[in-house]
Amino acid sequence: MKVAKEVIEKKEVWEREELLTGCQAVAHAVRLADVDVIAAYPIRPYTEVMDLLSKLIADGELDAEYLVADSEHSQFEIVKHASSVGARAFAGSSGTGWMYGMEALVVTATDRLPPLFLVGNRALDDPGAFGVEHNDAMAVRDMGWLLLWATTAQEALEHVLIGYRVAEDKRVRMPIALAMDGAFLTHSQHIVKVPTQEAAKKFLPPYDLGERRLHPDNPVSIAPQVNEDWVIELRRQNWEAARRAKGVIKEAYQEFNEVFGPRYQNPWFTEFQTDDAEVVLIGLGTVAMPARTAVRRLREQGKKVGYVNLRWFRPFPSQELRDCLGRFKAVGIIDRDFAHGSPDSGGILCHDIRSCLYPLQKRPNVFNIITGLGGRDVAIDDCIKMYDIGFKAAEGKVGDELVTWIGLRE
Amino acid sequence: MIKRVEINYRGIFQKNLGKYIGGDIVLIASREGKVAFSNGRYSDAPERNGIPCKYFAFVSPDLSEEELEAECGAKMDIDEADVSVVLDDTMSKGVEPWGWHGIRPINEKVREKGCMLVVTEKGHDDLVKFFAKKPFDYRLATLEGVASLAGLWVFKDDLTRERTLGAIAAVDPGIISIEAVEGYLLDKTKDKKRAQAAREAYDATLRNIKRVTAKEGIDWPHKVPVLPKWHEFEEGGVVVPAVKRGFKMGPRGQNRNEMFKRGTTKTERPVVRFDLCIKCTLCWLDCPDECFDPTDDGLYDIHFEFCTGCHKCAAVCPVPECIVMVDELKFDNEKSPWEDYVKDPAGYVKWAEDKKGKERIYYPPVTGRGKEIREGTTVPAKLAK
Repeated sequence: MKVAKEVIEKKEVWEREELLTGCQAVAHAVRLADVDVIAAYPIRPYTEVMDLLSKLIADGELDAEYLVADSEHSQFEIVKHASSVGARAFAGSSGTGWMYGMEALVVTATDRLPPLFLVGNRALDDPGAFGVEHNDAMAVRDMGWLLLWATTAQEALEHVLIGYRVAEDKRVRMPIALAMDGAFLTHSQHIVKVPTQEAAKKFLPPYDLGERRLHPDNPVSIAPQVNEDWVIELRRQNWEAARRAKGVIKEAYQEFNEVFGPRYQNPWFTEFQTDDAEVVLIGLGTVAMPARTAVRRLREQGKKVGYVNLRWFRPFPSQELRDCLGRFKAVGIIDRDFAHGSPDSGGILCHDIRSCLYPLQKRPNVFNIITGLGGRDVAIDDCIKMYDIGFKAAEGKVGDELVTWIGLRE
Repeated sequence: MIKRVEINYRGIFQKNLGKYIGGDIVLIASREGKVAFSNGRYSDAPERNGIPCKYFAFVSPDLSEEELEAECGAKMDIDEADVSVVLDDTMSKGVEPWGWHGIRPINEKVREKGCMLVVTEKGHDDLVKFFAKKPFDYRLATLEGVASLAGLWVFKDDLTRERTLGAIAAVDPGIISIEAVEGYLLDKTKDKKRAQAAREAYDATLRNIKRVTAKEGIDWPHKVPVLPKWHEFEEGGVVVPAVKRGFKMGPRGQNRNEMFKRGTTKTERPVVRFDLCIKCTLCWLDCPDECFDPTDDGLYDIHFEFCTGCHKCAAVCPVPECIVMVDELKFDNEKSPWEDYVKDPAGYVKWAEDKKGKERIYYPPVTGRGKEIREGTTVPAKLAK
């Protein structure tokens, strides 16, 4: 995707510009999606979305049931059940709150229900810490979820609409988690373009669970006890849905571009100055801002560097990433997470990308950066250090260590 | 080019005010064709009453939004500020937002030729005497007014927001111009009074800007904590030494947490007339921060470095005029008041009455109902012959 300014805007679909934090942008998107049921339980940094949603309901701008739960577990169960009776449902959480509701998150996926969740990324306690780390959202990566990261408040708003559109599609019906970096996106106030209700409605069809809807007129029983009789087939169905989701995602972006103007070229990731690049970094979330600024500076010195901002983590765009990353000399994977005890002690994103690149005949030299854990700053200079490692990696001179920690007191 | 504004505010009481001013700057700058965004210092916990916190606004006439965000938004705090707004003048004495930050000078971030902008009824010298010395000259502007402290979670619409915007335009028109401030307020509120308040504050602030030279201020007495490298501290989560159990009678007699004193949270401190004390123990018992130290003579001394100025001791004290809350800027040290009293009881009582002055502030039991100022009575000293 090129930068937004190069995009020809369709003015009639935008109602107004408003100063919004990332969380508030999501709340407005939930309003535009005309969500029926919202379940709330506070935890920083996602909480502000609940604050604004309750205000939107009180102001008469949104007609929805708003339930304050006694914990995240109940919160997510409420959303799951609401989704099963045909209500478009929304909830969110952060860090250990997300983990506390894990059982409900798992069954929402296995029941193939499509509520949307906001995850304001937060480190997992102890010690108590509310800065960004991606391990919380990534905990659902193996459980039949759709999972993506937004980089700006505008993108977050738009991906609530795209998210419901994909998740609720009959061919998919999977829960979706929209993740955003705590503080750097959840709490930062930017001018955001808010679409009209009509445009949102045009893009996002009503939620229809069809024959699976739990209703007195349609008596069904969902998820009776099964054992070896059913489960492996269910898992295969889940996989099939995730495979179909890839096609549905492409369709959704095409339709989004038709309604809102050509905003997205590549649903999966956004490439920045990669055409002739030799060393490229790839990461999730707001680290794109300092990384792309580092690219601009290094380009001024004639260095052939680029950045790939990954958006969709589940389903994982394997072939697309092979096609993209296979052409570079060195690829640095930035992890704002960790996978303790994993191969070469790399990060989660690193393992997925490294494994994805394995079938290539000619593979780029891969290196891994662990950084920004617990909300530690990742500034432009830190990103330049990462590219410096990349220049060595491009010549095969990195040595045996896959991983470098940056921004650590050492 | 980037202009950086930091807005120092008191947790919860000014949280909405700080955020609104940050957001207003973004919207006003964008009216002038500039790129801007605003955020808060995320490591603050601004739900705590009175805690010093920060909002930021960043404005650039030539950078893209992404580059501006990369320069300013990727860091937790800023390195320097073009304008450092202080919404409550008692923060001039220093700010300790969080245990690991230490007590920092309020003017720590202001850059050379940058400007401090303080909402205050005091004069420049009354503030500069608490500032830290800087290696260069900068400016100090005062915006006349009392700190706008709202009730919990709410916003007090007393025109401080509009007046501060006007004052920012006065100290650095490169951030926002007064014309853009007026246009924004008129369009947004359709209320001439708000634009007029901004303009009046603009005019008044222009008259109240003073140069502060590198010589002025104090040598900062507080150290910034240096945190250990990853291999330098004990494994097992962060395990820090607990406060050692320890108690003896008299000033500073109890052991306390030296890592996070929280004294910069207060806007007012209790002044005690020890001569009127009936030794009922209530102040000592009810103080949420345990800053009262029992003394051998049955009185209770106060350790002000740990006092957050919460008013509870003054509220529970059954004796009229015995504990009265007084503007924190009237004090320039954290010494034990009881020691002063014992040394010279009559002198102390005179000093205390002088600090208390004539006015007493009363708050109705329902928040958001404002405050009432009554005249206090001067109770004669009850000193042993």
